[in-house]
Amino acid sequence: MTTLASTATIALRPTRRRGWALTAVAFGTAVLFYTQLQRLAAFLTYDLAGLARGSRLSSAVEFFVFEVPKVLLLLTAVVFAVGVLRSFFTPERARQLLAGRREASGNVLAAIFGIATPFCSCSAVPLFIGFVTAGIPLGVTFSFLISAPMVNEVALVLLFGLFGWRVAALYLGTGLAIAIVAGWVIGRLKLERHVEPWVWQVQSGSGTPAAQKTWTDRLTDGRAAIREIVGKVWLYVVIGIAVGAGIHGYVPTNFMASFMGRDAWWAVPLAVLLGVPMYSNAAGIIPVVQALLGKGAALGTVLAFMMSVIALSLPEMIILRKVLRPALIATFVAVVAAGILAVGYLFNAVM
Amino acid sequence: MPPQRKIEVLGPGCTRCKETFRVVQHVVEQEGLDVELVKDESIERMMALGLLATPGVVIDGKVVVSGRIPKAEEVRRLLGIA
Repeated sequence: MTTLASTATIALRPTRRRGWALTAVAFGTAVLFYTQLQRLAAFLTYDLAGLARGSRLSSAVEFFVFEVPKVLLLLTAVVFAVGVLRSFFTPERARQLLAGRREASGNVLAAIFGIATPFCSCSAVPLFIGFVTAGIPLGVTFSFLISAPMVNEVALVLLFGLFGWRVAALYLGTGLAIAIVAGWVIGRLKLERHVEPWVWQVQSGSGTPAAQKTWTDRLTDGRAAIREIVGKVWLYVVIGIAVGAGIHGYVPTNFMASFMGRDAWWAVPLAVLLGVPMYSNAAGIIPVVQALLGKGAALGTVLAFMMSVIALSLPEMIILRKVLRPALIATFVAVVAAGILAVGYLFNAVM
Repeated sequence: MPPQRKIEVLGPGCTRCKETFRVVQHVVEQEGLDVELVKDESIERMMALGLLATPGVVIDGKVVVSGRIPKAEEVRRLLGIA
């Protein structure tokens, strides 16, 4: 902690202080705005636009006017916080800490690092090779590769904002559990021979240690994360909420119960099948799904759908095909899909 | 005369890697630098340097950026032209 404290002091020079002050002011304004949103949405819908209370249109409009700023504010705050948090983690450090771990504890640690480490799916191949050639077991490497996209901060924010903290926590917990168990199972299956042989021949360097970051660097990382992530998904969020608002106002209650309700056994597998080809549009899907839930769709089905959209993506599999033989990719998909199905059925049964 | 410097942009060819190459190329052109700028998409090079997250920027064989898109001013600073 002493190093942290001293870097923080060095970082707090006058020009830096302004950055902190600006961050604080922006945060304060956002909090104030956030607490008044409900009133503001009601004012805009009923007083300013003059829509009649209780009509389909006004209920859809109020939903949209309230949810869009709410979700975007939450998203910005969380993406910033996650960006700062992630500045403490690098794949290089994760590799160092995971090398020489035994399987069970290695799977748990890898899944946690998978969430905390900044990672994009185009890094999957160098990361995979770097991990396995450093002696990290195949199953532990998979725990990392599964949890990194599965527990996604954008999805977490949307679940928290639209469903509440319980569902967000469930998603986080079960996502981690799937990454840990699926990685462990893959490790038990001894599939090393299904890794492309050239991978084992790659000479892997230890890597240059990254320079020590100051707090100013970390805040910059947070802002960069906002630009990169919020800049990319905001439109999907707005469109998703617009569709959600339409469903909210116009689709009759319990409409979804017949085919996405808990009594339809085939709803969970269908949701997973539909989810696989969709990619990175979780931001747009969650608001829609939230509105469906209000019309009688079951939570487990909804969670399963979301997880398969995020964790099992076709582009990532195509990237991984460079280093994995089809049998191993198929096993990976099957194990993760089984985990997601279990989560879906579990929540439909329990909640 | 000092030897010509070499800048490598490493990445499997994803959009983030292309963006990184654009940023570096922009700085090199704007400053009129006499450097060797290469875009290397080979896994072998990434592994030899121990780079796990792409895109990566390597100056004279040393990894200076990994797993993110640098800004132009940062590239200038890394090249010693603030």
